[in-house]
Amino acid sequence: MRLTRMRQPGLVCVAAILFAALALRATAAEDGRFEIRNAYVELVEDVWQLDVRLDLGLSEAARQAFDEGVPLTLTLEAEASTARRFLPDETVVSLSRRWQLAYDAIADRYVVTNPASDERASHASREEALAALARIRELPLANTAKLPSDGRFEMRVRASVEVGEMPVAIKILLFWKSWSRSTEWYIWSVRP
Amino acid sequence: MTRRALPIAVGIGIVVWVVALALLAVTTEGSRRFEELQPWILLINIAGVVVLLALIGTRLTGFIRDWRRHVPGSRLRGRTILMFGGLAVAPLLLVFTFSVLFLTRGIDSWFHAEVRQGLSDALGLSRAALDLRMREILDRTGRIADDLSELRGGSLYMSLDNHLRLAGADELIVTSAGGQPEAYSTAGMLHGMPAVPQEELLLQVRQGRPFVSLEPAPGGGYLIRAATRIGSAQSLRGSRLLIATYPVPQRLADLAATVQKSYQQYGQLSYLREPLKLSFVLTLSLVLLMALLAALYGALYFSERLVRPVQDLIAGTRAVAKGDFETRLSKPSHDEIGFLVASFNDMTIKLARAREEAERSKAAVEAERASLAVILARLTSGVISLEPDFRVRVANQAAGQILGMDFDQAAGQPLAELAARHPLLGQLHAVMLRHLDAGEDEWREQLTLRGESGRRELVCACTALPGDAAVMGGLVVVFDEVTQLLQAQRQAAWGEVARRLAHEIRNPLTPIQLSAERMRRKLFRGLTSSDAELLDRSTQTIVQQVEAMKQMVAAFSEYAKAPEMQISEVDVNVMIRQVSDLYHAQDPRVAFGLALDARAAILEADPGRIRQLLNNLLTNSVEALDGRNNPVIMIETKRAGDQILLTVTDNGPGFQDSLIEQAFDPYVTSKPKGTGLGLAIVRRVVEEHGGQVELENAPQGGARITITLPAARRERA
Repeated sequence: MRLTRMRQPGLVCVAAILFAALALRATAAEDGRFEIRNAYVELVEDVWQLDVRLDLGLSEAARQAFDEGVPLTLTLEAEASTARRFLPDETVVSLSRRWQLAYDAIADRYVVTNPASDERASHASREEALAALARIRELPLANTAKLPSDGRFEMRVRASVEVGEMPVAIKILLFWKSWSRSTEWYIWSVRP
Repeated sequence: MTRRALPIAVGIGIVVWVVALALLAVTTEGSRRFEELQPWILLINIAGVVVLLALIGTRLTGFIRDWRRHVPGSRLRGRTILMFGGLAVAPLLLVFTFSVLFLTRGIDSWFHAEVRQGLSDALGLSRAALDLRMREILDRTGRIADDLSELRGGSLYMSLDNHLRLAGADELIVTSAGGQPEAYSTAGMLHGMPAVPQEELLLQVRQGRPFVSLEPAPGGGYLIRAATRIGSAQSLRGSRLLIATYPVPQRLADLAATVQKSYQQYGQLSYLREPLKLSFVLTLSLVLLMALLAALYGALYFSERLVRPVQDLIAGTRAVAKGDFETRLSKPSHDEIGFLVASFNDMTIKLARAREEAERSKAAVEAERASLAVILARLTSGVISLEPDFRVRVANQAAGQILGMDFDQAAGQPLAELAARHPLLGQLHAVMLRHLDAGEDEWREQLTLRGESGRRELVCACTALPGDAAVMGGLVVVFDEVTQLLQAQRQAAWGEVARRLAHEIRNPLTPIQLSAERMRRKLFRGLTSSDAELLDRSTQTIVQQVEAMKQMVAAFSEYAKAPEMQISEVDVNVMIRQVSDLYHAQDPRVAFGLALDARAAILEADPGRIRQLLNNLLTNSVEALDGRNNPVIMIETKRAGDQILLTVTDNGPGFQDSLIEQAFDPYVTSKPKGTGLGLAIVRRVVEEHGGQVELENAPQGGARITITLPAARRERA
């Protein structure tokens, strides 16, 4: 009988994918915790306002880049949806807000900017600035007309943070690199 | 897709691809203008790669198939692809390598220590300048606080406004120790209630330490915020704070903003350093890949275009080699290849015309040859055409008949070999050699060929065929058999002789006989008995000899006479049986063997002469068998086409070699009492009936006479 050496490219590929996944997971574990600690909405004078509290941990590389002047961008996505019988949920409100945290080397202060309102708030330390960024208060979500009158709807929020303003071309070219971190969707039901 | 639409589509594709590559290079640098287009640009480039790969795969597959099938031109195309590919790939790789090198070094050069140090120095200088300003502001704020220490209510407001104006501050706020505003004054656009002081500010001032900080202004630029306690109260309770906000001079603010922006951009660039290098290298690699693929496709495409006319030429040449002169190639261009193709087409046209001419000439030659063959076949003269090396080129049927051989398979064979196997041809060959040895190409001679069937008289003429200047084109030998003609001439002469003899001799014979009888009758009585006996004996002899001469003269007369033939159908087999029975009855000692072919029976002939012919033949044989033991005469008839062969063979002594050639001549006989007219009459009868007679000695001994007579017309096929 003639013995032939069998190649098993499938096993090699699977091993490589597992190795890559473990490596990515290890990298993620090294980074700081980034998740939504809690979130809620409340109706204030016919306006639903969103409050979100984040655990905004940064990796060491992101901290170093941040200290060198690279801005940090926090994006918050919020969606309100209503349940429909026999149909998928209808998204009635969808908004996205961005905040940028940058280090001002001249003033030696950390500046949080809301590009939408051009509000700027400076902080003496990075931790103070991160804490301020991680606490989103009274973010107008929608007026009551856009949401069900009975006050029953589903909410979900998700945050992502990105260090630096990476050109899209580089993001696409280096597609295998993780340029931003995102939280899982934080979902809850709003009841009157 | 039409032939015109394809290049347009390819051109548009190339333009789109080049634009996409340029946009890719631009967007890699971070231009926001094309960010939204970025995925499409990359998609176009990837699609370009895929299209190029597909095109290359198609052409490469075709090329490999042609290479394996050893299609003409595939080797040349392979070398062309290697040459084109090598010429394109080597510079591309060189440029790519140096581009990557320069690019990475260029990016690294952005982050030299000098640059970083310069930026740090600029930052430090800016801070130092602002620190000086901040200290001044802090001092100024302290003096204002001292002035405000005793003021309350309206005078406080008035003083605040006055200090605001004098100090050039944007805002002056007097707060409680807890940060609650008690009085304030603002300048410019700052209206409304002042903001709650920062916690750090309150903490520091509560601790008794003045606070000053440089803060980014909400609308851009910077502002200096200073705070200090008003008065000298040691207790925090009841103390007040003065918080002042001053603008930074525009010039200084702009410079500081520039430094800050540079610092931030530098940090961003530093952060993007490795991704930028990697993305540039990837972009370059993508460009290189597409350029390589384009070069490879170009090499495949242009090699195919370059080699296609050569392949067409090879195919055309092969077609021409196989005899297809109708091959025409399409002219690819007006360059040298086009000229070559045009020359090839001209050549094939001329070859086609030449072939048509050759075919016409060949057809004409074939027609001439066929005509000549027909003529040769119909000729009664023998014709032999010889090559210059004495091989038989062609010989007609008559030549074979005259020379007693078959020339059907003789074409191409040396004449000497044929001559060795056929005696008559050998004699003719010897005569030809004799003339050639004498240097005579053209000669004419009457020949006598001797064979088993007797002597043959030929009138032969030979002439040389035209050939090259140095070598003759061969020989042609034409000969006629004149044996029968000569015999006929001799026969006529002998007939005349016979007639004259009959006439001249018969006339005096009767007077001689009568005179002898009268002389005997007159003189017999007066002579003595001895003389009378002598006279009687002499006159008897004279009478007998005269009688014999009369018979001879009668025979001559008979030979000379040619009475009208009475033609009717004769069953020769029946006549043979009758005559043979008669002879057997006369001489029972002679055995007759008959082998008569029922198909060879009916002749259109004069029955009397045929009977005379048979009588003469059998008489000749019976006389030849006189004194022989077991005398046998074989008579055989056989059908040969439209001819009837009659063969009479005996087991006698045969013909003497010296007489065999003149056996049919009159008065030629080997028998003591023969007149020599028997076979002569046989021959005359045969010829009168359009036949032939041949005489030979049989191999087993004895004579054999073969007579060929035409069968009756109704018996012919």
